[in-house]
Formats: sequence, C-alpha cells, structure tokens
Amino acid sequence: MSEAERKKNIRRTALIVGAVALAFYIGFIAMGVLRS
Amino acid sequence: MTTAVLDGHAAADSGEHDHGPAKGWRRWLYATNHKDIGSMYLVFSLLMFFFGGSMALVIRTELFTPGLQFVDPAFFNQMTTMHALIMVFGAVMPAFVGLANWMIPLMIGAPDMALPRMNNWSFWILPVAFTILASTLFMPGGAPASGWTMYPPLVLQTGDAFPFLIFSVHLMGISSIMGAINVIVTIINMRAPDMSLLKMPMFVWTWLITAYLLIAVMPVLAGAVTMLLTDQFFGTSFFLAAGGGDPVMFQHIFWFFGHPEVYIMILPAFGVVSEIIPTFSRKKLFGHDSMVYAASSIAFLSFIVWAHHMFTVGMPLTGQMFFMFATMLIAVPTGVKVFNWVATMWRGAMTFETPMLFSLAFVFLFTIGGFSGLMLAIAPADIQYHDTYFVVAHFHYVLVPGSVFAIMAGAYYWLPKWTGHMYNETLGKAHFWLSTIFVNVTFFPMHFLGLAGMPRRIPDYSTQFTDFNTIASVGAIGFGVSQLIFVWVVIAAWRGEKATDRVWEGAHGLEWTLPSPAPYHSWATPPKARIANEAFE
Repeated sequence: MSEAERKKNIRRTALIVGAVALAFYIGFIAMGVLRS
Repeated sequence: MTTAVLDGHAAADSGEHDHGPAKGWRRWLYATNHKDIGSMYLVFSLLMFFFGGSMALVIRTELFTPGLQFVDPAFFNQMTTMHALIMVFGAVMPAFVGLANWMIPLMIGAPDMALPRMNNWSFWILPVAFTILASTLFMPGGAPASGWTMYPPLVLQTGDAFPFLIFSVHLMGISSIMGAINVIVTIINMRAPDMSLLKMPMFVWTWLITAYLLIAVMPVLAGAVTMLLTDQFFGTSFFLAAGGGDPVMFQHIFWFFGHPEVYIMILPAFGVVSEIIPTFSRKKLFGHDSMVYAASSIAFLSFIVWAHHMFTVGMPLTGQMFFMFATMLIAVPTGVKVFNWVATMWRGAMTFETPMLFSLAFVFLFTIGGFSGLMLAIAPADIQYHDTYFVVAHFHYVLVPGSVFAIMAGAYYWLPKWTGHMYNETLGKAHFWLSTIFVNVTFFPMHFLGLAGMPRRIPDYSTQFTDFNTIASVGAIGFGVSQLIFVWVVIAAWRGEKATDRVWEGAHGLEWTLPSPAPYHSWATPPKARIANEAFE
C-alpha cells in the first residue's frame, strides 16, 4: 500500500469514527427533545 | 528468533528519523511522539491517583469512628464526588491510554499513532479539564457534591461549580473520544504487513474493543450533561418533573454510558494480564481467539444491562427480568477469560516476578468483585443491597485490585522496556504484598457493612458499624502509604541494572525485539511479516 493511500485510509477511518461519535451525541439529545 | 531481534534493531536504527526529541519544555508541550505522550499520560494518571487517593483518605479518616470529626457533611459529599470523578476519568482511564500510546505502536509494528497531532490534543486537554474541576473546590458552594453520577435534580443544586463541572466533563469526553479515534485508526491502518486482526496481541485487541465502546458511550455522557446544562441555564425541562421532564430518564441515559464505562476500565486490564500471564508461565496464551470473542461479547452485553444500576427506581417486572438475566449472562464470557488465564498457567514453568504477582492477584480479586456483581444483578436482592456499602465493596474490588492492579502489573512489566533498566524486584514485591494485604483490609469489611445495612455516601454512622469502618480506614491509610513505594521504584529504575532487549525470558511479541529502552523512533521500517507472527509460534 502506498503512503498516499494509507493516509487516505487513515483520514477516512477517522472521519467515519468521528461521525459515529457525533451521531451518538446528537442522537441522544434528539431523543431527549422528542421525549420532553 | 535471532532474525526477529536483528530486524528489530535494524528497524530502530534505520536512520529514517534520526533526530532525537526536542529539548526542554517544547518536547512535552508540542509532543507528537507516542512514547512521550504515553509517558505524559502515565505521569498525569499517577498524579491524579494520589490526588484522588488523598480525597479517599479524607473520607476514610472521617469514617474512622462514628460522629462528625474532621469535615462537615457538605465537604464530605464533595470528597466522595471528586474522588470518583478524578479516579475514573483522571487516574484509571488515562493510565490505560498511556499504556496504549506506549505499547500499541510497538506491538503492531507501527512507527507512531496514526494521528500524532490529535494525540497531543487528547493529552493536553486533560490537565485543563482537571484544573477546572479541581478549581471548583474553591468556589462559592464548593465542589460538586451530588456523586459522580450527577443525578438531577440534586446536581442542579450545585453552586457556582455547576457549569465548570459540565465543562470539565465535556473536555474529558472530547479527550477520550479523540484518543479512541486514534487507537482505532492506528490499529486498522498501521499494522505490520501480514499481521491479521486475529494475530494481534490481546492487549491491542482489548484496546480496539475499548475504543469502540468509548466512541459509542462518551458522546452519550456528553449529551446527558449538555441537557443538564440547558435545564439549568436555558429553561429546558429534560429532567425536571415540574416542567414535564423526567429525572429517571437521566439515569437511563447516564447508565447507558456508565455501564460500558465499567468495561472501558476493565477490558484493557484483561489485555495487560493476557500479555503477562503467558510470559511468566512460559506458554502461549490459551485460547487466544476465544479471548477475543469473549471480550467482544462482554462489550456487546455491556450495552444491554444498564438498568441493573437502577432497579430501585421502579420498572416493569419484564424489564427487571431482562436486565437481571442479561447481566448474569456477562459471567459467561468473563468465565471464559478466567478459565483461559488459569489454563495458560496450567503446567507452565511459572515464576513470580512482580508483574506476575499483580496479575495473579488481579485474577483472584477481580473474580471476587465479579461474584459480588452477580449478587447485585439479582433484582430482588439488589433492592436490599442498593446504595449500601456492599456496592462500594463490589466496585472497589473491580476497580482497585482489578483495574489498578493491572495498571501496576503493566507498569512493572514494561518499565524495563521504557527505561532500559530493571526495577528493584525486592521493592516491587514489597509494594505488591503491602498493596494486596491493605486492599483487602480496606474493602473486604465493606461487604459486611453493606449487608448489615450501612448506607453509602454518609459522613456518620450508627455505632454498630464502628469496628469494620475502623479496620477499613486503617487499611486505606496503609494502601495509600504503600503506593509511595511504587513511586520510589519507578524513580530508582532509571539507575537500575541494564535491561536486555527481551527483558523477560518468556516474553514474545514485536515490542521485545526492539532494544531497551525502546528507541525514540521505532519501526520506521515495518517489521517483516514473519516477525509479526513470531508471537504465535
């Protein structure tokens, strides 16, 4: 695997995992909003 | 094996990154090297261990005899709250992140963590967060005193400290999430060629699973405390019954974070112990793959058991049954792990150096904490045990001779690789025996206190609880003082006997093919595929 390809994979994995974390944060607040 | 050692040295000396560390404070403030950041995490966690530990001693001093002796009840409640927050988020979690930073790249043959600048941020956010949290001790109304669970409406009565508490918890969460992203990205993308996932060392595996847990639950805690903040300052009523909200919902959300958090603090401990026991048994780990599946099962189950923390709030019988049986199910994969550790030792050529002693104590004493956990999982029994010292005994057995002993085991195990010198084995063993004796003197009597009905989080108690409280307080002071031996052992290790590369006769894995101390830049050239598999031969 080339260095450029590895960097691209690293960036993509980080963004996906970060997006999952953000989804949990917003999702639980949204659940609170819908229940209250 | 010879090939592996030679290749390890070659990779270390390849000269691709032949510059050393920066000089002075810049080395630490601008650190991007995984070893420097790992060291900072470990030192920080040790400082927090003593800071939080001193609060535990305030608590135990007050409880030495019945009556109010030294501190007023409000300050006592601040101590219980701050002790928990500091130990969980400031001592145990950063210690495991420190071990991960140091060891994961060495174990998988990566030159560094995948996102080194973010790694720097992950660490440096922590001292800011804990300075803010500690500053609340000097604010009007004092530090938070509602317990680390921050249940509303009680937590909303916190004085000026409230927004600082929320902000510091957010910062801790951001730090943990960034650290978890780094661990996942590093393990997924930077493993040595041919090191497939199932060939990874158990410490790396357990950390990968832990990182996914962190990604899933730290944002949930952040969401919960954000809602607390808006309830207090922006007129919302998420958890305020008067405005149509539901305080019990906070408990559900908190424990959806809180129970996986327990496993965040214990899975890396499983990983550490799974590295150490094979080394000192001179056998390979029994059932490596089953250990991976067991850890994954524990992680999955941790998401569906949260309400066992809140049986007493009232819930449908079906709910109680579900959470009770789901919780008991965790004993199965945990039993697999304990079985595998014992099977690894079976007919092994065992020796009992300090890391092995701490690991053996971990297996035995963590299992005691697991058994009391099973007792607490029984819904009708939990109605009796809830909010008593039995709960305090349970989670301290899991966290102190569990997580903390595993951290100590890991520190002794890898210290020669970090410093290039052997530590003083006699002092290490003294530290182990004193810690083990005093940890039991401290926490075992709490089982009896809880079963006799002594509630937790109180500064005073009925006289029939005196004897066991006095014993526990003596044990706590002894345990605290014993930890000073560890500090001395670490300091003295910099002048100890020179360590060999392999350090321990039975050690296997990539990290042991590098020189001791591990060079500032390691694995600039990825290890050869054959070496990556060496640990399994």
